[in-house]
Amino acid sequence: MAVALARKTLIHEWRRFLPAIMSVGFSGVLIIVQGALLLGIVGTNALSVTQSRADLWVGFPGTQSADLGRSIDIGVSSELLVDSRVARVEPLLLGSGDWRGPRGGGISVTLIGIETRRDALGLARAVLPAERALLDEPATALVDDGDLDKLATEIGGTAEINGRRVRVVGTTSGMRAMGGVNVVVSLATARAIDRSLAASDNVTYYLASLHSSQAAKAVRARFSRPETRSRFEIWTAADLAGRSVRYWLLESGAGVGFIFATAVALLVGTLITSQTLMAAVAASTPQYATLRAIGVPFPKLRRIVVEQAGWVGAIGLALGLAGSLLAAVLARLNGIPFALGPGIMALSGALVLAVALLAGLLALRRLRHADPAALLR
Amino acid sequence: MTKVPSLGVRAVTKSYVVQNIRTEALRDVSLTLHPGELSLISGPSGCGKSTLLSLMSGLSRPDRGHVHALGVDLGALDDAARDAFRLAQCGFVFQGFNLFPALDALEQVQIVLDYQGVSQALAARSAREALELVGLGQRRHLRPAELSGGEKQRVAIARAIVKHPRLLFADEPTSALDSVNGAIVTALLREIAHRSGAIVVCVSHDPRLIARADRVLEMEDGRLHRDSRDHSSSNMMGTSR
Ligand SMILES: Nc1ncnc2c1ncn2[C@@H]1O[C@H](COP(=O)(O)OP(=O)(O)OP(=O)(O)O)[C@@H](O)[C@H]1O
Ligand SMILES: [Mg+2]
Repeated sequence: MAVALARKTLIHEWRRFLPAIMSVGFSGVLIIVQGALLLGIVGTNALSVTQSRADLWVGFPGTQSADLGRSIDIGVSSELLVDSRVARVEPLLLGSGDWRGPRGGGISVTLIGIETRRDALGLARAVLPAERALLDEPATALVDDGDLDKLATEIGGTAEINGRRVRVVGTTSGMRAMGGVNVVVSLATARAIDRSLAASDNVTYYLASLHSSQAAKAVRARFSRPETRSRFEIWTAADLAGRSVRYWLLESGAGVGFIFATAVALLVGTLITSQTLMAAVAASTPQYATLRAIGVPFPKLRRIVVEQAGWVGAIGLALGLAGSLLAAVLARLNGIPFALGPGIMALSGALVLAVALLAGLLALRRLRHADPAALLR
Repeated sequence: MTKVPSLGVRAVTKSYVVQNIRTEALRDVSLTLHPGELSLISGPSGCGKSTLLSLMSGLSRPDRGHVHALGVDLGALDDAARDAFRLAQCGFVFQGFNLFPALDALEQVQIVLDYQGVSQALAARSAREALELVGLGQRRHLRPAELSGGEKQRVAIARAIVKHPRLLFADEPTSALDSVNGAIVTALLREIAHRSGAIVVCVSHDPRLIARADRVLEMEDGRLHRDSRDHSSSNMMGTSR
């Protein structure tokens, strides 16, 4: 094997390169954690979608975000069922209410009314079948286990929503939202509490499951014709969730904040990394000059520096990913919404490697000091 | 130019300007060095010895005059061509050793052949042979930090000779060494000149080295001042002018 000067020097002088590796790693953690938190928080606006098992969602035309759904006609259900690929259709209601616990104080809550059949689609991931069955009893509710403190209640406790008495019969998991509080009830209870839902001839969403999920796009296309578009719109679950996240990223300004903070993280990372790499190059000036004296052309010297920058980037990125996974574990233990997906990891990986390589290119300027004639004095 | 490939310097001038102050490092220097000889350049500090060495090895260019090495006019080559010339023909030994701290002795030597594009197996074998020649075959897996000064300089010599250069330049190779190690390095340089037929040029103040040289060139104030030849040396090659 050819002598790997770049790598061996990096290992031998790892202390010199450590600050660069750490700064790359920290930039990575910063970007990933920020991004995952942001997506997690924004994603809580789409919890009703992501925690359900429906293939397709049907709602008011032009709905921008899942939490902003408006009523559609009840007749849509039978229209959908005409398609033989559709296995089941069930309604989901979104309402709002003012929660008052035994100790007073009003908290505005989002009411999510779901079907109570054992195998219902609505919130299938967040509500266990046993808890769902408890909702069959009128005036019962489930709250998220992460929200018990906030609502100052417990299982078995009672409260009033919009002046209607409800009993907390169980908890959901993963329904904790950042802005408000999600309270899960049966369809009938939702209609009893929120007057705007009282008319039983309209629903916020219809959830549809298909015999084969692969058909989702085709079924969506069938119900996206102009003659139906005025009455309802149909999305795949991923569509509606993605649309909600994008809407809130732009609407809330959080997206811009993220871009700004990421730019700062990248800038600081680039500065520290390039300074460290420059110092490493400067410290090795006699070695580079020796290579020049031997007759090694300048581009090969550049390759050494760039290769080292690449290693610094790769090791830093590995540390950054490890740190982010740790953050994800901590977030999960604490019930904090943290959406650590492949997209954000790939994005930050690319950015962080770019930082390292850019820093390496900046450090190349120091190579000019490697004058072989200076070795003869 | 002579038939035998040689190193010729013709009316070379070199000056440095630093903060508007002009230093004439070399003034009209001419000389011819021959293969198979250990030539030694000596003289007081600042007289231009290192400057002359860097011109002769193609590390820098003269202001005026010509340097012909092995039939090539070094002053006429561009930077890339001079790099290629050095890679192919020149070996260097520096006062400060200039080894790579991260590499063991074998790798220090082998890396030169890597850059020449020599195959791995051959490079490793040649590097071992070169280290054995300088008496360090057993210590080939040690890094510079684990070697003595004399051993380091011998590794540097092995690195310089592994490609069988026809030009070998050494700037004060013994001045950082004690007398025993200085003598070993001196003997090695002399042996390389005589055995390989390379042109070996050495800058030194070291009287031991001066005594063992085939030819001594004394400089003063940027000029060649005296050129003396040791006729007692058993050198058979290149003594004719
Ligand atoms: N890169 C440079 N820039 C400016 N001046 C230089 C440079 N290199 C050499 N000089 C000047 O040229 C003159 C000759 O320098 P050189 O290094 O050749 O001397 P030397 O004979 O090798 O001395 P020493 O025995 O101390 O090593 C000195 O006066 C030195 O100051
Ligand atoms: Mg000198």
